[in-house]
Formats: sequence, C-alpha cells, structure tokens
Amino acid sequence: MQFGIFSVGDVTPDPTTGRTPTEAERIKAILRIAEKAEEVGLDVFATGEHHNPPFVPSSPTTMLGWVAARTENLILSTATTLITTNDPVKIAEDFAMLQHVADGRVDLMLGRGNTGPVYPWFGKDIREGIPLAIENYALLHKLWREDVVDWEGKFRTPLQSFTATPRPLDGVPPFVWHGSIRSPEIAEQAAYYGDGFFHNNIFWPMEHTKRMVRLYRNRYAHYGHGTPEQAIVGLGGQVFMRKNSQEAVREFRPYFDNAPVYGHGPSLEEFTSQTPLTVGSPQQVIERTLSFRKDVGDYQRQLFLMDHAGLPLKTVLEQLDILGEEVVPVLREEFAKDRPAGVPDAPTHASLRARARESADSEAVTK
Amino acid sequence: MTEFPLQSGERPAAEAPDDLADDPRFSADEPVSPSGPLRVVVVSAGLSVPSSTRLLADRLGEAVARDLGAAEVPVRVDTVELRDLANDIAQNFTAGFPGPKLTAALDQVTGADAVIAVTPIFTASYSGLFKSFFDVLDQEALTGKPVLIAATGGTARHSLALEHALRPLFAYLRAVVVPTAVYAASEDWGNTDGLNRRIDRAAAELAALLAGTGGRRAAPAADPLEEVVPFAEQLAALRVQE
Repeated sequence: MQFGIFSVGDVTPDPTTGRTPTEAERIKAILRIAEKAEEVGLDVFATGEHHNPPFVPSSPTTMLGWVAARTENLILSTATTLITTNDPVKIAEDFAMLQHVADGRVDLMLGRGNTGPVYPWFGKDIREGIPLAIENYALLHKLWREDVVDWEGKFRTPLQSFTATPRPLDGVPPFVWHGSIRSPEIAEQAAYYGDGFFHNNIFWPMEHTKRMVRLYRNRYAHYGHGTPEQAIVGLGGQVFMRKNSQEAVREFRPYFDNAPVYGHGPSLEEFTSQTPLTVGSPQQVIERTLSFRKDVGDYQRQLFLMDHAGLPLKTVLEQLDILGEEVVPVLREEFAKDRPAGVPDAPTHASLRARARESADSEAVTK
Repeated sequence: MTEFPLQSGERPAAEAPDDLADDPRFSADEPVSPSGPLRVVVVSAGLSVPSSTRLLADRLGEAVARDLGAAEVPVRVDTVELRDLANDIAQNFTAGFPGPKLTAALDQVTGADAVIAVTPIFTASYSGLFKSFFDVLDQEALTGKPVLIAATGGTARHSLALEHALRPLFAYLRAVVVPTAVYAASEDWGNTDGLNRRIDRAAAELAALLAGTGGRRAAPAADPLEEVVPFAEQLAALRVQE
C-alpha cells in the first residue's frame, strides 16, 4: 500500500498571525514539503493544478521536475490534472517527459476541476465537463500507446500523422487515476480502462465514498480487469496531530475555523464526525485511517492533506515527521494484516514494465 | 414582520421531532414500498414556535389526508420543520454536503408522493430559509411531483408573492403545482370562511392529482450510483475513435 500527501497549493493567511506568505514563499514551501515527504519515508507526493488565486500550482510538471531531481524514491503525482481544460496532447507530452526526467516515478490523477470560470478561460464549456473528460482521455490514452495517431473528435483540432514526443519511458504509459467525488460516469470511465479510481473523500461523509467505490469496483470486474477486490482504489485523508488530542485540537482550531472551503461552517467536532478529518493523537489518526478499509475494502493508496489553511511550513514539516515516524509505519503493518493475497499493490512504472514485457513475451511465444 | 405567533397551547397536534435522524419516520434507509400508503410531506418554514405558517401547513396536510381518506386512498402525512434545520442548511452551503439530520429531511422530501410547501412571506418573497432548503435539495427531487404552495403574511397585500415567487420556483424544479395557492394573512385567522374555502379547494386539487394515480406510489428515480450509463454509450455519444 502507498502512503503520501497531496497539496492543494493555497496561499492563505495564517489566522494566528494574520501573515500571508508570498507566492514565492509558498511555492518554495510546497517544494520543501515534497522533499520532506521522501525524507520521512512516504511513497507519493501529489500536487493540485489551479488557474486562479489564491492557489499557486498552475504548472505541475515544472514543480514535479524539480522534486524529481531532489528525490530518489518518491512517486510524483497530481491531484488533479485537469483533463477537461488542458490539451490532452500537452498532458501526454508533459508527463512522458516527466517520466524520463524522474526515471519512471510518475503517475497522475485526472479530474475535471470545479472552478467554473476556468472552463471559459481555457475556451471550454463547463456543461461539457463529462464529455470533455471522456474524449480528452480517450485521446491521451491513444497518444501514449500508438506512435502515430490520426484523430478526430468533437472538441479538439483533428490530428493527422501525429506523434507525441517523447514516447513514454520504456513504452509504458504512466499509471492513471481518475478522481471524482460525485460523478458515476468517471467511476465508470476508470473501470472501463482498468485504471485507478481515487475518491477525494476529505469533504464528504464516508457513506457516499463507500457507494462510489463500490460502483467502481463492480464495473471494474464487469469490464474483465479482475475481481471487484482487485480494483485500484485511492482515498484522501486530512489530519492534524499532536502528542495528545487536546493539544492538537487547540492548535488546529483557528486554522479549521478560518479554512478556505469549510471554515465558518460546521464546527470542528461536527466536521470530524462527518468527514475523515482527524485532529488528535497519532493513535487516533491510525485508528481512523484503518477504519477506511471497513468502508471501501482493501485499497492501494492513501493520500493526506497536510499543508493548507495557512499552516506555517514549520508546523507542516513537524506534522510530516509525526506522519512518517509514528503513523505510516503502523498503517503499513496493520493494512498488510489480513490483506487477501489477490489484492494487488498500486501499479508502478516497474510493475507496469514487467507486465508489458510478460505480455510481449507471451505474444512472441504464441507467434 | 409577517410571522404571526399563536398563543401557547394553540399549536396543532403534529410535533416536529427533536432529532429527525433518530426518528424512524425520517430514516433514510426505510424501504419505499410501492404498495404502502401515499406519502405527503409538508415543508414548513415558519420561524416562531408556534407559528402561523405551521398552523396553515397542518391545516393543509389534514385537508389533503381527509380528502384522500374519503377516496379510500391510504396516506401518511409527515412534516419537515425547516426551523429545526436552519443550522444544518447553512452548513450545507459552506461544507458542501448535508449533515445527517438534513440528509434525512431531504430524503423524505425526495421520497414523497406530494409536497405541501409553506413559507412566510418576507420582503416580497419566500423566506431565505425556505429558498435555502430548496437550494440544497437535489434539482431533480421534485420533477413531476404534485406540489401545493402556500404562504402566510401580516397582510393580504403580499398574497401574489405566491404567484410571482413560489410558483416559478417550483415550475423551475419541474414540479406539478396545483392551480390554487393558499395565502393566509393575519386577519384570515379571525375570519376563517374564505381561508377554509381556499384550503379545501387547494387540498382537493392535490388529492385529485394523487388519487389519479390510483393510490400507487411513483417508482423512485433511478439511482445513478446503481445504474450507471455504460461507457460504450458515453463514448458513442461522442463518436470517439477507440
């Protein structure tokens, strides 16, 4: 099982000091946090993609390229890459390039984006969100698998004799996760291709997450990729930890109360009972995270949101220390217990390359 | 303001439950039986306790139950008090999802065979709380559903707010709104002849719509998480090359 963090990349005033970091400070902080993820033994760092303030990460592969050079084991990913408003040709090229730069330590999570004006800013129509996600991914999928592509679709200029460059590293496209909170069409899309499905449940009651994941698992089996239990599932999580839970609650409350997205709404207590947010001791975070398995079955990737709402870099780095030292080792051990033999790990470049070679070999034998 | 508090003890019988989520009638998991009694859900946005809005809501619910009873159509009338959900509704806006108590109420309205929607008139329109509830309700929840609209106010001068504000709201939600909308001004509570006639007429219209179904409950809308559009169809709609 993979553990990691995902960053939204918001530039938010620290409510306890009123100070807002500059864009430069925040960008450097995100990069430091990514580096730290590897130092504390996490598996994945994923960045969001946004095209409106107060968010800074508009150019994920630029950031991830820097992180690639500074790390050795960390998988670089996104949460999410906008499959609706980006040109799938550019996604194909950017992430194939990143694969080469990072020696294959790359996957990506596709999402539609929920900021209305981004669609018209990029010349798209939000009412076409699902069709854009479907058509653009169909093209992206093809560009990574066929050297020369002829293409005609509804949304993009046709392509004749086009080759996306560079070709994916070792001829193996990056693994793709499809992220969606509410749309069954996207769970269906992930299932159809045998790709991963990530439910970013951090602002949602588990009951809903459970139903979306169940749909994806059943459809994954329907399309013949394996049993429902073998489908590739990822979940979000959001935690703040101190040695004892009172201390954690006291320190995190001002950040919670003023957070973009959920601040000034439900109380911290209501929100923690209705969503996966856990504010407390490392042990509480361990117990809560382990409980996700009861709801969605054995899964492959757990990403935590750690750096947002104006939390200072120093605090985030402390949180990552606790996560890496006290929480993730226990989670690895506990999740491994009673995990059925048939449940796969999340695909990596190495496992996908091995699989590709196997099938090439068996084709060669049958020929 | 237009809210007209009643004297204590005057509150009509049906009590709003303290905790909707704990009340078995409000359980989201309760199976919808196609052969069970028709379900009429009254949504009341009165703010005082007790309120004239709730009084009107109860009168309408009772009248509809009486008419369906006379037609031997089994019916159950439940009431959702929006006052009890005011915080949950506001938090749905900021958090993006409904808490358990609000979920139960939304499910109840979604699963109803007919809705009676009653609001005080504030500033020439429905109250903000009333609108907020229908803002967080799924846009398809009222499609094709018979709805009776009613309102209360301090004077009869605001009565056309029903036609200019409530009726378009429910038309937008594709509800089937009965022709008679019922308005109760403060003065109507001392001179109930006209009000009674309007209640009876509106209730008869709603009951006729419901009785027209032969007392059979409408099939619940397909759950998109249970019946997904197969991917091949999604692709075919775009004629995307594989």
